[in-house]
Amino acid sequence: MLKKLSILLIGSIIGFSSCNLEKDVNVELPPYESQKILECYLEPGKPFRALLTKSSPYFSELDFSDLTRILASILEDSAKVQIKFGNQTVVLTNTLSLDQINEKVYNYSSTELVPADYTSEFELEIILQDGKTITSRTKISAPVAIDSVKIEFNQERKARALTYISDNSSTKDYYRRMLNLNSLKDSIPEQDFLADDQILQGSTKLVFGSGFQFEKNDTLYNTILHINKDYFDFLSSVKNAVSNNGNPFGQPGVIYSNLQGTTNALGIFTGFLMVRDTSYVR
Amino acid sequence: MNHIRIGHFLAVIFIFCSYFLNAQVSLSGTVTDAASGETLIGTTIEVLDWSTGTLTNEYGFYTLSGPSVENATIIVSYIGYKTYSIKLNLSKNERLDVKLNPDSEQLEEVVVTANSYKDRINSTEMSTTSVTPLEAKKIPALLGEVDIIKTLQLKPGISSGSEGNSGIFVRGGNQDQNLIVLDEAVVYNASHLFGFFSVFNSDAIKDVKVYKGGFPSQYGGRLSSVIDVKLKEGNNQKFSGTGGIGLISSRLTLEGPIQKEKSSFIVSGRRTYVDLITNSINSANKNKENYNQIPAYHFYDLNTKINFELGKKDRLFLSGYFGRDAFAFSNGNFDFNFYWGNATGTARWNHIFNDKLFSNTTFTYSDYKYNINNKLTGFSFDLKSRIQDANIKSDFYYSPNSQHLIRAGFSATHHKFTVGRLQAGSDDGTIKFGSGLYPEGAELGLYAMDDYSFDQNLKINWGIRLSSFIHKDKTYFNFEPRAGAKYSLNENLSLKASYAKMVQYIHLISNSGVTLPTDIWYPSTQNVAPEISHQVAAGYNYILGDGYLLGHEFYYKWLKNQIDFKDNARLFANNNIEEEFAFGDGYSYGTEIELEKNTGKLTGWIGYTLALVKRGNFPNIMSGRYFSPRYDRRHNLTVVAMYQLTKKWNLSATFVYGSGDLTWLPIGKFSFQDVDGTQINFITPSYGDRNSFRMPSYNRLDVGFVRTFKHRWGESDLTFSAYNVYNRRNVYFYYTDIEFKDVTQGGVTIKVPSKVALKQVSLFPIIPSITWNFKF
Repeated sequence: MLKKLSILLIGSIIGFSSCNLEKDVNVELPPYESQKILECYLEPGKPFRALLTKSSPYFSELDFSDLTRILASILEDSAKVQIKFGNQTVVLTNTLSLDQINEKVYNYSSTELVPADYTSEFELEIILQDGKTITSRTKISAPVAIDSVKIEFNQERKARALTYISDNSSTKDYYRRMLNLNSLKDSIPEQDFLADDQILQGSTKLVFGSGFQFEKNDTLYNTILHINKDYFDFLSSVKNAVSNNGNPFGQPGVIYSNLQGTTNALGIFTGFLMVRDTSYVR
Repeated sequence: MNHIRIGHFLAVIFIFCSYFLNAQVSLSGTVTDAASGETLIGTTIEVLDWSTGTLTNEYGFYTLSGPSVENATIIVSYIGYKTYSIKLNLSKNERLDVKLNPDSEQLEEVVVTANSYKDRINSTEMSTTSVTPLEAKKIPALLGEVDIIKTLQLKPGISSGSEGNSGIFVRGGNQDQNLIVLDEAVVYNASHLFGFFSVFNSDAIKDVKVYKGGFPSQYGGRLSSVIDVKLKEGNNQKFSGTGGIGLISSRLTLEGPIQKEKSSFIVSGRRTYVDLITNSINSANKNKENYNQIPAYHFYDLNTKINFELGKKDRLFLSGYFGRDAFAFSNGNFDFNFYWGNATGTARWNHIFNDKLFSNTTFTYSDYKYNINNKLTGFSFDLKSRIQDANIKSDFYYSPNSQHLIRAGFSATHHKFTVGRLQAGSDDGTIKFGSGLYPEGAELGLYAMDDYSFDQNLKINWGIRLSSFIHKDKTYFNFEPRAGAKYSLNENLSLKASYAKMVQYIHLISNSGVTLPTDIWYPSTQNVAPEISHQVAAGYNYILGDGYLLGHEFYYKWLKNQIDFKDNARLFANNNIEEEFAFGDGYSYGTEIELEKNTGKLTGWIGYTLALVKRGNFPNIMSGRYFSPRYDRRHNLTVVAMYQLTKKWNLSATFVYGSGDLTWLPIGKFSFQDVDGTQINFITPSYGDRNSFRMPSYNRLDVGFVRTFKHRWGESDLTFSAYNVYNRRNVYFYYTDIEFKDVTQGGVTIKVPSKVALKQVSLFPIIPSITWNFKF
């Protein structure tokens, strides 16, 4: 009996080692109604511009054979878009524009530049082709300067960057920090995270550090965005949705949006000034 | 209003006291195992001349009252032990301590259960289940690790979490709504290895009892269940040991008398050794370039208990548990350590005032903490959370006559919390940041109950519990009525019903849905009201003959002030954590059927549960609409069979079928361009309603064989088991796999998705295991 059991166990172990525990499956998801998606970032010194797209069922096929088809499948055109602030109204026309430096696309834009106005409220109003509306309000957060960027080497001659900013302890502030390596173009940031100042415990110095991961002659682009709570919540929810998609220990969530109106739109209308420092590892 | 409630409570206490005046002749004492000296819980003591009987309580004590009888026949019986009978002159109060001899013939065949079928027919108790280590050891276990909590998951009404997880969901309750006590000290995180194993070493455990409803008044503080784990007391007759060597851990238990029949000790330890292997691999490869160290992980448990008989009327018990999980990883610049675990301590004093009055006074201390420490060159990061409890409680048992068994007592607990204490900064002190909350609370309970027999057929158990929680200047009071009734239609069939209100003052901060060491506890505060449940249950127990018992119950549970978390809640390092809470309610209902057989060569049970649970009315979640939690399983079927083939061979098999878990899959996608310096994400998931997709059903068959050997020095056995014999690919989770391609147009090249596929991941294929166990 013991001999037979041993044979059974060994056979099972061999079977175990050859197991494939992952496979493709097809599932039928609950019905989904497409939503309008808006990204509109007011950046002082840059033109008023927005990207208005539409969502689709998660497993629906998109035609990604070329850029024209991609854009045709996701862009939401023929809407009337305007932004009001103070006594001014800026109309964003439905024209496809490409920011080749940063490789970004906008389907609504104006030649007028966003003013460095950190006190006025900006009002967005969009009337879609079917007459439904998207509205929102925001203010541009005043920029926070990068005090310094310190490059340190370890014994293996790998470098890290410490980026220091000063926080205003009398206000509740939110930040986005990005660190790009060697290029801003076609680059996924080495670091990209959100922080608020409640962890400072009275200190006014906030430092963002990297690991020892950089080589001599690397170029580091440190970017700090002083952002408002709406953008903090929106971006947190997007990151949470992406990171917890398929994480058995995680909990996804619905995307936060600061858009209102008569259509069920999703997205963000916000303003900030990117503060960037370029450092060289030497 | 609170004064009125206290007045009502005192009036009930007064009514109880009136019973004290109605005294008769009594018989009392304790029942122990003659071979080991262990007290026996649930032993039946019958005085035939009184036509009545009782059971030993959880401390092995019993008391009976009746009219004066000369030459009365007393029978003491417990499954697995030789029945003891004696004739005694009961013309005055008598003390009878009984030592039952194990019936070695029977023990080979039967699974010892706390109550015999007759006792369960006659008891007002319902919605309970119990498991003994002997039962757990016979059932095939994942990786050969006998786990008493996973055995409980095979009982109707008790669901597991995700595959292999030792988390428990009882009648639609959340994981934190289970009160798990080890020798009366609360265990806050009862799992090792992220939930794959429970902290209970079966060698050190004497008995586990679970209440799913019909809660006796002495229990409070959780909504859905009480899991009462009792440690062995230690053999006071002779020195002995048990142990085992398994695939991932080994264990050793030693016990023996300190002073024969007066005092004893037990020490039990268990440790995994995967880290010893990975450390050796790391050492062998340490000089290799580009070698990535394997992180080291281990867990261990240590249980100890000593007890002293201080005289005929007093007994003192001291017990403790200490367990740790440790995960470590380091290289030249990076030193990461993560450890977590429980520590509990219990000092218990049993005192017999007289033949009718028995008391148990306990001091307990519980401590659960986790600590994540990470050191980078020049910087360190330290995150910890902790809950510490100091508790005193006293319980009094009084049996004034054959109709009443009265129990009353109090409990006071001081809770001390450390919630998300984060300390981070540079070694030179120029940079520092952190967070942390340190709330405290006091939880008080006062209770009384009476198990009253109207006649042979009708019995009721009614009681009340007055509970209170104090946090800063906020005080909550709650009246928690409890009631149960039994009516016997004949000696083989009884109907039962119960009602219980439960209140929970401390809450688990976790939105993961599985047991994680980083789950932390938080008290009721000004803004966080206690959770409340009302549960009604009704059912019957029916002895079918030939050793079969059929139990069938229906239940309905209303849940108030339930806590969930807003979407995208920030639960770490957040000093405003209450802003992340959402408050709502819920309900659950279902029916549970169990057919069990605990005598003969073939033993086991078949359990089926049909259940539904919903939560809703959370203003910030799905606009207040109701939704199903992840583990809302409509159907659950378990079949557990143990067969004594010969004196040397035992066979066992377990079959589990359950509706698939619910999961929250994205239903839409959109392109997220983001700001300059980032790349566009074409497949950003968009989630709809929570848990709106049900995964395929779960089913699994496990088999096990035990071969026993006799030696001059003792006994040993080889336990072979195979988990998931037919290699079913049960879904553990889904994830989406996105393949990309480059598209170039007008000099611009971007990466675009070429294929989006949903992948199913399974955790355990067929897993054979072998364990060697010994006993001397």
